[in-house]
Amino acid sequence: MIEITNLEIGYKSKGKHNAVFKGINLHLHAGDLVGLIGDNGIGKSTLLKTITGNLAPLAGDIKINNTPSSKFTAQQLAQLLSIVVTEKIGGFNLTVWDVVATGRTPYINIFGKLSTEDESIVTKALEQLNLLPLKDKLIDELSDGQRQKVMIAKSLAQQTPIIVLDEPTAFLDHTSKHQLFSILKKLCAEQGKLIIVSSHDLELMKPYINRSVTMAENNSLEVK
Amino acid sequence: MPKSKFIFTTLMLLLVLAVLAICDLCFGSTNLFSIETSNPMFSSILYDIRLPKTLTSIIAGSGLALCGLLMQSLFRNPLAGPYVLGVSSGSSLFVAIATMMISSIHVSGFFIMGKSIVTLFSIMGAFFVTLIILLISKKNKSNVTVLLVGLMLGQILSAFQGLIEYMSNADNLKTFVMWGMGSVGSTTLQDLYFVIPIYAITIVASFFFIKPLNAILLNEQYAQNLGVNVNALRLSIIIISAVLVGVITAFCGPIAFVGISVPIASRLFFKTSHHLHQMTFCLLLGACVVLTADVICQVLSSQFMLPINTVTTLIGSPVVIYLLFKSKLSIG
Repeated sequence: MIEITNLEIGYKSKGKHNAVFKGINLHLHAGDLVGLIGDNGIGKSTLLKTITGNLAPLAGDIKINNTPSSKFTAQQLAQLLSIVVTEKIGGFNLTVWDVVATGRTPYINIFGKLSTEDESIVTKALEQLNLLPLKDKLIDELSDGQRQKVMIAKSLAQQTPIIVLDEPTAFLDHTSKHQLFSILKKLCAEQGKLIIVSSHDLELMKPYINRSVTMAENNSLEVK
Repeated sequence: MPKSKFIFTTLMLLLVLAVLAICDLCFGSTNLFSIETSNPMFSSILYDIRLPKTLTSIIAGSGLALCGLLMQSLFRNPLAGPYVLGVSSGSSLFVAIATMMISSIHVSGFFIMGKSIVTLFSIMGAFFVTLIILLISKKNKSNVTVLLVGLMLGQILSAFQGLIEYMSNADNLKTFVMWGMGSVGSTTLQDLYFVIPIYAITIVASFFFIKPLNAILLNEQYAQNLGVNVNALRLSIIIISAVLVGVITAFCGPIAFVGISVPIASRLFFKTSHHLHQMTFCLLLGACVVLTADVICQVLSSQFMLPINTVTTLIGSPVVIYLLFKSKLSIG
């Protein structure tokens, strides 16, 4: 599903390449729950941003379903790959429904009107994460664990075969962390989604993931 | 917000707007009901004075409120607005430059040309400041920093403006100071032939950004992942805001309060985040606020001349402060 060859990740600044990590080779399949492990600052978020198209690769290739990711339009990529990031969202009267409904952005018209079908997809996404009773609540009124579930529901409403989560457990308590991974494992098993989760806590992820990618110093990458 | 509630609220706001527009047309230092319609003074007051003023109030109020909403969504900051971020100051400075320049090269006799140049300079000033703010917001993600830079930029531009005022002659200075107080009364029907098409195009254009604006409320990374071209959105919103603020400021002077407070009030009143709803409500609410201010100005104008800025701020700000304290809602 995702094939990464000789990937070099990092940032371009004033024409210079500031490489964070080099020589990444990975082959990830549908149904995999992949744990991306590594210390803070090693380049996990940079790698995820590069996979999702938020950052351009410095070198190497990323193929999704055998097509180079650079060949996809933003709209096409939005229908293939969704994200959940660490940064908290909120304010502006955003309700649970509003946030999950943004998952339909790649599919709806320019005026942002949801069709009946879109609405039923959003409802189903909320149901899958037991969020339907909270649909009219403001995001600001939710706990951190509930917020993360809302963002995952947004990804489900986006109907992408790949979901990428960057440090989703950062603000969660012990119970919420395990609840979150149970949900992710279920999504991989039942819907065949490829889910990539970054964390520096291998012990937490171990019982749930079926593949691990460990990033370490000196561009050392261990894939299990 | 359900469709039926949106339609009902829109119709109610339209009704209030119509009542206020009628009040604005009829009441003032001369009550139109007290004049026979056959009296030439009736049509003179109605068509030459009141109608342009009412239309300008609607355009200024709705345009500035919409700009405020667009900026608040783009910066994901409820304190953003054309006045706070220094965009109005940018317009003012460039208008000051244009006013002095036009005066010095003696083209002020060409009325339309003069106003066109002032408008163009006003748009350039607004565009220039918005672009700087946007570049800073890209470098520094902190909302507080962006706002502080906006405020500082406003002060710097005002200082330059002060310098120009100091060097100008008494007549130009008087014209400029009067303009700076904000007024919807100096626009003629002829001016409106120029303003209305620009206003209409920018308002219609802004409705084409509903979907990306809804997405950017999450954050830029989410928006990009949802297929939004964030850079194109930024540039489009800058151009729309700069043109709207520039045109309105050129004709009405820098009007405070409306741009920042109407979107806040709209979010507090109409609990929705969807931009189709918020844009519609801000347009109508903004028009109602400036019309109300103008009605008050007109009614009191027999005693003394009140600048519209004073009225919008004196009435509007306490209302918004009250709403903010009363409401437990997060507006941004």
